[in-house]
Amino acid sequence: MIEVQNVSVVYGSGEEALPALVEISFSVGEGEMVAVVGPSGCGKTTLLLAIDGLIRPTAGRILIAGEEVRGVRRDVALILQDAGLLPWKTVRQNAELALRIQKRRESVDGILSALGLNGFERRFPAELSEGMRRRVGIARALALRPRVLLMDEPMANLDSLTRERIQNLILDLWWEMGFTGILVTHDIEEAVFLGQRIIILSPRPARIREILENPGMGSHEYRGSPEFLERAKTLRQLLEENG
Amino acid sequence: MRLALAYFLGIVLIFGAWALVSFSLAWAKGRPILPYPWEAAVAAGENIWTLLSAFGTSALRFLVALVISFFLGLPLGLAAGFEAKLEQFLSPLIYLLYPMPPVALLLFLYLAFGLGEVVRLVVVVMALFFQVVVAAQGAAKFIAPTHVVAVRSTGASRWQLYWHVVIPATLPSVLTAARVSVGLGITMLYIAETKLGILLPPSQGLGRFIEYYTFRADIALAGVVALALLGLLFYVVLEVLEKRLCRWKYVGVKGGS
Ligand SMILES: Nc1ncnc2c1ncn2[C@@H]1O[C@H](COP(=O)(O)OP(=O)(O)OP(=O)(O)O)[C@@H](O)[C@H]1O
Ligand SMILES: [Mg+2]
Repeated sequence: MIEVQNVSVVYGSGEEALPALVEISFSVGEGEMVAVVGPSGCGKTTLLLAIDGLIRPTAGRILIAGEEVRGVRRDVALILQDAGLLPWKTVRQNAELALRIQKRRESVDGILSALGLNGFERRFPAELSEGMRRRVGIARALALRPRVLLMDEPMANLDSLTRERIQNLILDLWWEMGFTGILVTHDIEEAVFLGQRIIILSPRPARIREILENPGMGSHEYRGSPEFLERAKTLRQLLEENG
Repeated sequence: MRLALAYFLGIVLIFGAWALVSFSLAWAKGRPILPYPWEAAVAAGENIWTLLSAFGTSALRFLVALVISFFLGLPLGLAAGFEAKLEQFLSPLIYLLYPMPPVALLLFLYLAFGLGEVVRLVVVVMALFFQVVVAAQGAAKFIAPTHVVAVRSTGASRWQLYWHVVIPATLPSVLTAARVSVGLGITMLYIAETKLGILLPPSQGLGRFIEYYTFRADIALAGVVALALLGLLFYVVLEVLEKRLCRWKYVGVKGGS
């Protein structure tokens, strides 16, 4: 479904050239969910923006469903690092934003109530808790029923209960909607809970260090099982060596 | 209700101070200099229809100038702030022209546009237009990149990007700037109506009204009060508009995101 082939991204040019990604290659099958972990500032967001068609790779190419990505695709949705809600739009307007821009008339009621946001449709983002804002960001992306969902640390800086609840929710929605997912995170447990494979990136400029298989992933019960803990331990070791 | 009371007290205070100044001046100079508030009120009453008509004409003139300034200044300012390429090119132009007072160009404006309605509008528009442009440009420069990425990633067109992000993000600053510029705009209106309105009867604008009655201090002063009220009217209208259109600014925790 997604093929990233030898992708490099360099910000700026000349003296100030700042390489962010170096020859990244991996592929994600249809309906697969892959986690990407790496140190802060290594280039994870850059990778997602490139896959979403918002940044053009300096070298290499990205294919989605066999077509080279040359701009934003409407069947790909992006959940931004800080939810990226528009403060001048209400919860409902924010959730509807992507649909309306694409001139689609579907209702967002279903997704809003699935995310526990009913009753808050007319509130502005400033009136919500951080966890609710994240859920609005998720609603905005899922309302599109995308084939590909790109998630940039959707649970960062949430309390652990809220984080687990949203992780479970994403897992359920993935089963239900069958999208192909790429989840960027710096949380070890989250990567093991949600990634069928876990791609480990080096410090900036990001190269692929290791790809960890994680076949047990897929149910709520996986969290806390011996296999889960074992994977988390391996991942932690790999990240520590990564330095 | 509390607000109405505060305004009432304000008015009483201003008129009290005014009466005091009138009294002091008369006492110091030994002859009346500044008419008392009640004299101005009587003069206003005696000329009420001329005064109202002058007020209406000025209000309409100001409104038209304000709307034109928005229609021309908003797109230019937003584009100049948001489009990096345009900014390089337009910024020097804007900053060179911005401090130039249209008053200094009255003669050329008169020669170019004659003494009709157009030239009076041009003077007020020139003043307000640059205020709107500069405010819009400044605000558009500091739009949060994440808001732009959020909308671009949905596949939005440039026009949709402006509609969903650039315009709403900058509207509060632009409306505030317009509100703050009302004082300047009223000054320019006065100048336009006096210097470029010498052929008009006193009912054709408050500036003309005040000038026409230069030698009837009480009537002229009534005109000055009306001019101040005109400024207040637009100030309040712009404030209400901002509170209405930018409701999101006034919700949530103060100082929160
Ligand atoms: N628009 C840009 N222009 C120049 N440099 C940039 C730009 N965006 C990101 N960078 C740089 O590229 C590098 C990678 O940034 P990126 O945001 O992709 O990292 P990240 O892995 O997502 O970080 P974090 O974990 O903090 O979210 C950083 O060093 C950053 O400073
Ligand atoms: Mg990031």
